[in-house]
Amino acid sequence: MQNNPAAEIVVKTTEDQDTDEVRAFRLRAREWMKDNLPPRLPHEAGNDFDDAKLVERDREIQKKLHAAGFGGHQGITVPVEYGGLGLDQRFEDVFLEEASPYRLPWSYGNATNIAMPCILGHGTEEQKKKYVRKILDGTHLWAQLLSEPSGGSDLAGVLTRAEQREDGNWYLNGSKVWTTGGHHCDMGLCLARTDPTVRKHAGLTMFLVDFHQPGMTVNPIKLVMGGSEFCQEFLDDVVVPDADRLGEVNGGWKVAQTQLASERKGMARGWHVGMHRAETSPYIEPNARYGKIAKKLGTENDSYTRAMIGELIVYDAVSDLIGKRINTGLRSGKFHGEAGAIPSLMSSVFDIDRTKLVSAICGPEAIASVDEKSANGVGMSRVSTHRIGGGTLETQMNLVAERHLGLPRELGPAPDTPFNELRSNKTAKIA
Amino acid sequence: MDIELNEDQTMLQDMTRRFLEDRSPIGALRKQVNASESFDRDVWKEGAELGWIALFVPEENGGIAESAGGVEDAAIVAEELGRVVFSGPFISTCAVTFAIAQSGSAEQREAHLPGLAAGETLGAWCLSGRGPMAGIDAGAITAKASGNGFELNGSAAFVQDAADADLLLVTAADGDGISQFVIPSDSAGVSIEAMEALDLGRRLYVVKFDSVKAEADALLGEAGKAQDALEKQLQTVLALQCAETVGVTDRTFEFTLEWVNDRYAFGRPIGSYQGLKHRLARHCGHLEGAKAAASYAARAVRNDAPDAAIAVSVAKSHCGRMSTEIIRDCLQMHGGIGLTWEHDIHLYLRRAVSNEQLWGSPAAHHERLCQLAGV
Repeated sequence: MQNNPAAEIVVKTTEDQDTDEVRAFRLRAREWMKDNLPPRLPHEAGNDFDDAKLVERDREIQKKLHAAGFGGHQGITVPVEYGGLGLDQRFEDVFLEEASPYRLPWSYGNATNIAMPCILGHGTEEQKKKYVRKILDGTHLWAQLLSEPSGGSDLAGVLTRAEQREDGNWYLNGSKVWTTGGHHCDMGLCLARTDPTVRKHAGLTMFLVDFHQPGMTVNPIKLVMGGSEFCQEFLDDVVVPDADRLGEVNGGWKVAQTQLASERKGMARGWHVGMHRAETSPYIEPNARYGKIAKKLGTENDSYTRAMIGELIVYDAVSDLIGKRINTGLRSGKFHGEAGAIPSLMSSVFDIDRTKLVSAICGPEAIASVDEKSANGVGMSRVSTHRIGGGTLETQMNLVAERHLGLPRELGPAPDTPFNELRSNKTAKIA
Repeated sequence: MDIELNEDQTMLQDMTRRFLEDRSPIGALRKQVNASESFDRDVWKEGAELGWIALFVPEENGGIAESAGGVEDAAIVAEELGRVVFSGPFISTCAVTFAIAQSGSAEQREAHLPGLAAGETLGAWCLSGRGPMAGIDAGAITAKASGNGFELNGSAAFVQDAADADLLLVTAADGDGISQFVIPSDSAGVSIEAMEALDLGRRLYVVKFDSVKAEADALLGEAGKAQDALEKQLQTVLALQCAETVGVTDRTFEFTLEWVNDRYAFGRPIGSYQGLKHRLARHCGHLEGAKAAASYAARAVRNDAPDAAIAVSVAKSHCGRMSTEIIRDCLQMHGGIGLTWEHDIHLYLRRAVSNEQLWGSPAAHHERLCQLAGV
């Protein structure tokens, strides 16, 4: 790459702590990146599965990273026999320091943040050798096949059936939905029901499912905003060899817990590993956008508008301060892990309140405008701001109430009720 | 309140909590109300001996300011006072003490601070009148030069503890700027009229100034130049009030959680119903927000951070609105018992509703935030 602008950026490093070995690694990475990695563009998304070009480019980056001996994105600490470099964390830190002006293959987030820890934690030697390597060498993008049309919050209630037939293979039938980037993925972690006659958590098994086979239909879902980042899959006798079962038969819930924990851990650490988040000010800085809108509409002296702007400044500040408080408490041990649901809940609550007020400040300009396309975005946020993904608002509230505040669980069917005796969308209608 | 209290602060918190549980629990307020007393002078003096006011007073004037954490420490005390809906003149005396320590001459400090620190002298702050910016903007009282001193005219409203106060801190505003005075509350021309207040542990007054003479030595700082000092006093009061509001809300939330766990309806604890759970989860989030905003504000004020003015208004708006909302809903969850005079929750709700409006309503602070943000 000639005149790579990213190579000109002076990066703050911890070079003074380098050993000779680390130093050599750093210099090799620095030299290689200059000629091989595209610069990081300030407004480019970390990942966007509606942008096929971005996904394809990330595949190329991951392949190059691996081929050049850097172990692929997030592979530096992974053992050599599984395709990584087997080096300690310091090497990864150094690599990410050097990579900070460049684009890294963040489309692999589900693969590296979720699939990889699940396979490393629960997989057989063969699975680790095969599938971890194929993540790191760029062959496989991964999806999570969890939610189903019958429900998402009640994850252990999945209906997709897996049966082992005489040939030893498993045959999967059912439908999965809300799969991030499913239309680009090669493999998926699929939670399926293997025994409906035992209680619901006990009859589940996790499978490593190949997307590229005849029984697998992947349909992108068009969302209210118009884009398609998520898919629905129909599994029609999808074949999974027994060698691709992850964990014990009927032990799928255990794997799913690792999966969900990995997701939370990834979110907490920053999903796009190596992407530096913008430096945040240690002080409360009111968002200038609100005042600009009012000025443009000539309402900056209207007392009702001013009251709303003041309230918005409060929402932004408090939402941010809650996150800082809970994170500090989690680090110091003052809060248990369950408290982590509080900032997540409250940022959704404030998002919803915020869109309401911003829309009110804009008035009719929020829903149609002669000179500006983006004006619609304000009104549109009233249509699209909801908390569904990653656990609905109601699920978050249950988490805070039951796990953090210790309130008694809602009374449901006896915990040992066999799955096929639970009432469901189907059976309730029959009854 | 703050998630990062140091060892000294944790000790201060424990000590204050134990003292109040012993000497001034919520039941003390009930007794005072029944006996039509304002507050317990003995408890106040014992509290002062624990350093409640001395936190703002330098050592040479009988205080401990040098070794204490200023408004951050006072906020810890305020939060504990909130938990028992304390009725003593804490915020008003802190305001007057802070103002004298901040802007007073050596003579003024020597004259007033030792008595304030010891709990013997009480103060009240006459800042503003009625109207939408009450509790924030000065302008209800004017001061004009007269002879060697000044003549004060006007009327301040919502003045806390004025009838019990020995000293009045008077903030006067006119075309020439802001001037502040410390005068005896029995000065000729001062009349103090009680307002009918909904908070049973807080006494509010209208204080009228009718050609009140303030001698030159009553002037605090320079005439017409007290704007910055005033802002700092306001920030201090707001940080303390928000901390108190947090204590009020936190305690109510605690006993409400116990209640919803213990109270059964239709064969199970009412706290197991999502109808209550979801509301409590939200309240928990907003309460954490109140704690975060109040502790951030106290620290910003103490450190004179560039965002201190914004931080106190953010905290005041959030603590004010959310505490009322949380406690109101906690009362709802108590059912009929919550509406009885005998249950304590109305004492908490009265304090929260009252705090929401004192020292600037949420709407007034939203306006102030616009001004601070350059809108």
